[in-house]
Amino acid sequence: MEPLIQSFGLSKSFPLSRTLRQVLRAERPAVLAVDGVDLTINRGDSIGLVGESGSGKTTVGRLLLKLTPFSGGQLTYAGEHVDRMSAARLRGFRQQAQLVFQNPFDAVNPRFNIRRIVAEPLINLGVPRAEHEERVAESLRLVGLAEPQRYLDRLPHQLSGGELQRVVMARALVIGPEFLVADEPVSMLDVSVRAGILNLMRDLQQRLALTSFTISHDLTLVRYICSRTLVMYLGRIVEEGPTEDLILRPAHPYTRALVAAVPRPNVDQSRDSLPISGAIGSGPPSGCRLRDRCPHAFARCTAEEPRLAQVAPGHSSACHLHEA
Amino acid sequence: MSALLTVGNLSVSYRRDGAAIRAVDGVDLMVPAGMMLGLVGESGCGKSTLARALMGVLPGNARITGGSIYLAGEDLLAIAPEKRRERLWRDISFVPQTAMNALDPVYRLRDQMREVLIERGGLTRAAADRRAAELFGAVGLNARRLEDFPHQFSGGMRQRAAIAMALALSPKLIIADEPVTALDVIVQRQVLDTLRTLGRELGLSAIIVTHDISVVAYLCGITAVMYAGRIVEYGPTEVLTSAPAHPYTMGLMNASPDLYRAAEPLVPIDGAPPDLAHPSPGCRFAPRCPFALPACRERDPDAIAVGEGHRAACLRTGEAGALRELSRKAATWSR
Amino acid sequence: MPLAGAKLRKLPLGRSLARFARYLWQNPSALAGFVIYLVFFLVAISAGLIAPHDPTEILFADDGQLAASLPPSLAHPLGTTNLGRDVFSQLVLGARPSLLVGITAALAVATVGSMVGLVAGYLGGWVDRALMRLADLVLGLPFLPFVIVLVALIGASLQHIVFAVALLLWPNAARVIRSQVLTLAQRQFIEAARVTGASEWRVMFVHIAPNIVPLAFLYGSIAVGWAIVTEASLSFLGFGKADTISWGTMLQDAYASQALDRQQFAWFVPPGICLVLVVLAGFLISRGYEELLFPKLREG
Repeated sequence: MEPLIQSFGLSKSFPLSRTLRQVLRAERPAVLAVDGVDLTINRGDSIGLVGESGSGKTTVGRLLLKLTPFSGGQLTYAGEHVDRMSAARLRGFRQQAQLVFQNPFDAVNPRFNIRRIVAEPLINLGVPRAEHEERVAESLRLVGLAEPQRYLDRLPHQLSGGELQRVVMARALVIGPEFLVADEPVSMLDVSVRAGILNLMRDLQQRLALTSFTISHDLTLVRYICSRTLVMYLGRIVEEGPTEDLILRPAHPYTRALVAAVPRPNVDQSRDSLPISGAIGSGPPSGCRLRDRCPHAFARCTAEEPRLAQVAPGHSSACHLHEA
Repeated sequence: MSALLTVGNLSVSYRRDGAAIRAVDGVDLMVPAGMMLGLVGESGCGKSTLARALMGVLPGNARITGGSIYLAGEDLLAIAPEKRRERLWRDISFVPQTAMNALDPVYRLRDQMREVLIERGGLTRAAADRRAAELFGAVGLNARRLEDFPHQFSGGMRQRAAIAMALALSPKLIIADEPVTALDVIVQRQVLDTLRTLGRELGLSAIIVTHDISVVAYLCGITAVMYAGRIVEYGPTEVLTSAPAHPYTMGLMNASPDLYRAAEPLVPIDGAPPDLAHPSPGCRFAPRCPFALPACRERDPDAIAVGEGHRAACLRTGEAGALRELSRKAATWSR
Repeated sequence: MPLAGAKLRKLPLGRSLARFARYLWQNPSALAGFVIYLVFFLVAISAGLIAPHDPTEILFADDGQLAASLPPSLAHPLGTTNLGRDVFSQLVLGARPSLLVGITAALAVATVGSMVGLVAGYLGGWVDRALMRLADLVLGLPFLPFVIVLVALIGASLQHIVFAVALLLWPNAARVIRSQVLTLAQRQFIEAARVTGASEWRVMFVHIAPNIVPLAFLYGSIAVGWAIVTEASLSFLGFGKADTISWGTMLQDAYASQALDRQQFAWFVPPGICLVLVVLAGFLISRGYEELLFPKLREG
């Protein structure tokens, strides 16, 4: 079966503001937020992308939906090159691929009522007016808001965080997409509310046979809803594999540090020390990006950037240690 | 274990749009000396207001409407407001949620530390500089970084600098409001480790205000769970996380995923916190509680002792064990 | 956190009117400004009914003499001009051109400023740079002299005055609105609009534009005062349209007839006061509205 989404060497750089000296020297400093990402997403997959701030994970999400232009690399959707799509094909793409945002209060126009918010994709994609009311109500029911009439005329600030996030999901689903990207879907919600949204996402994945791509800094969340996970560090993928494997048998030092760092209730972690030190900076200029923080770094790590290599079936990691 | 901080029946009200909102309603708390108390609750429960009331830095439209605060035996509310402000950093200090709220972006850290140590602490400049270097060392920062400006620090380092500032005058109690929420998970762990080490080495007493139970479990020996302005459960953290006695705490535990127990489904708590401007009689959690009895809606239950140093404000604490079992099933909570 | 139990209001219009009324009540300055505008507006509309005489009619007293320079009396509440015209009628009818100029200029400034700010802020790039350079250019022009020259070239009708004022006042509005647009464009709901298939034009006019209306209104209300004073200044300086009665021409007339020397306060003080009041009202409303737009963060 052909994969739904494939990317080769996807990258994105953001220009930095220049000092006068740099202007005079015609230098264009930039931050390479995403540096050559290859990924494959099959239909029905639920993929997680994990990383800390500065890893580039949010940018990858935007690139996959062509919300920001590529600086390099290619992306195909159902076999078609996304950056070569015509305006008409792009409309079709927008119908198939949607995004759920992090902060529900920021993701909706504060002046529109719920009906108008959820109907937006229908309006933009030219669905006949007559169908709107029914489809909006259906979508609200789908996300667990059982009595849509109660919500349709309300404004966003009248809803709670959990309800509004469901509205955001309803908007994403109203046109029946097959691919859903969720960017930190619950990080702004209260703990007791998160569980509801996460359960909803699991439920929808199954019911609608969605292909999902969830971006999060929270490994625990990713374990709950994603079967396969990618770990990003400073713009590159450093490990990927089945989520269970990644968490129980992490191969890459960075992943191991992420797993060890998660505080767990009722577990004495006092004796676990972190396998890496320091904080994310801009990374060393050559070789492996983690080498300035990794206790296992050796000569090869400075000279050569490691590539993803298989460490177990379906599980690969980019670290020289595996071959050493 | 002597009590360092004793809060008795404290109430704080806001005036907003003409209505009085009882953000903190009859709170009893105790922080033993040398221990860290975790104050857990979701948004709107009043924990930040409580923290500010303890510090004496409530905003203009809020007022303490009743109760007492005793720090090391001294009645804090009996002190005149101007005097309280003077003693602020010396008795109780504060680590705010985002370190940038504590650090002035236009001054070097060295100058900011000096200001606290010289103005409020009465040290000479040389003594202040020595102490600043000592404090930075204690939080795991290189003393040379004192020369830098806050924006040159990473998030975790800034948070640690804020902790160093809070420790400057060796306060009796530190209140930290969501100290690690804004940080990445690895840095979060580093800062938590710093706090833990400080706790052990300096015998630091602290109140850690957070919504994240795993942070509290890692750091605090005692936990107080807050809901709609009241403390619903209070006791040793270990007990609260393994055998909670209040339905809300049970709900929180079931809704918080554990990295290694992914097979268990998460159970959400339906509904939303009550409107504090118009509190209904009876238990505040009753509308969302799957175990609510008619009696629960009539009277707000007082805290009942459940075990040693453990109390819960619920009429059904006697059946806690059975209720816990039921609370783990999703069906119990969906209505 | 908003509460799920918030009351549902059926008519959004009713709600915003109620909120507006309550806001006015809590803000005495905005209320004062609003009342002043309302009064003048009503006077201007019903001027024909209120004014006892035609403002340009030369009146004669019962004994056949010219009713010139009469002091205030029941028949002439503000007296008469040196040519026997009723001052009160002039004042009341003079409100019309002033308010007309004020309101149309405000609309023009708000519209042009919004368009430019929206396009520059959203599209960015060379469009933004070009428009902002143009704004800088216009801001560098001296206001009154330029308006005088323009009006001298194209004629002194009210429309031309409005045109001249709008031409010079749009950059302030445009710059501020552009900043607001820049901020708004970063908001996630704009990104959400794009991901759900909205075209760039739609994003600009359906999503961003409604959010800048308050600022446009604010700058519009500031422009009202400017426009009215400009019209009065032009008229006073003698560049206005000769046969229109406005507060400015009243002042010009009084000045030319040496009313100050003759201490005919009732002639030239009222139009001056009216001008001051209208400009003050504009200021009060804009100030009160600014507080509404950018309220202090509430604790809680």
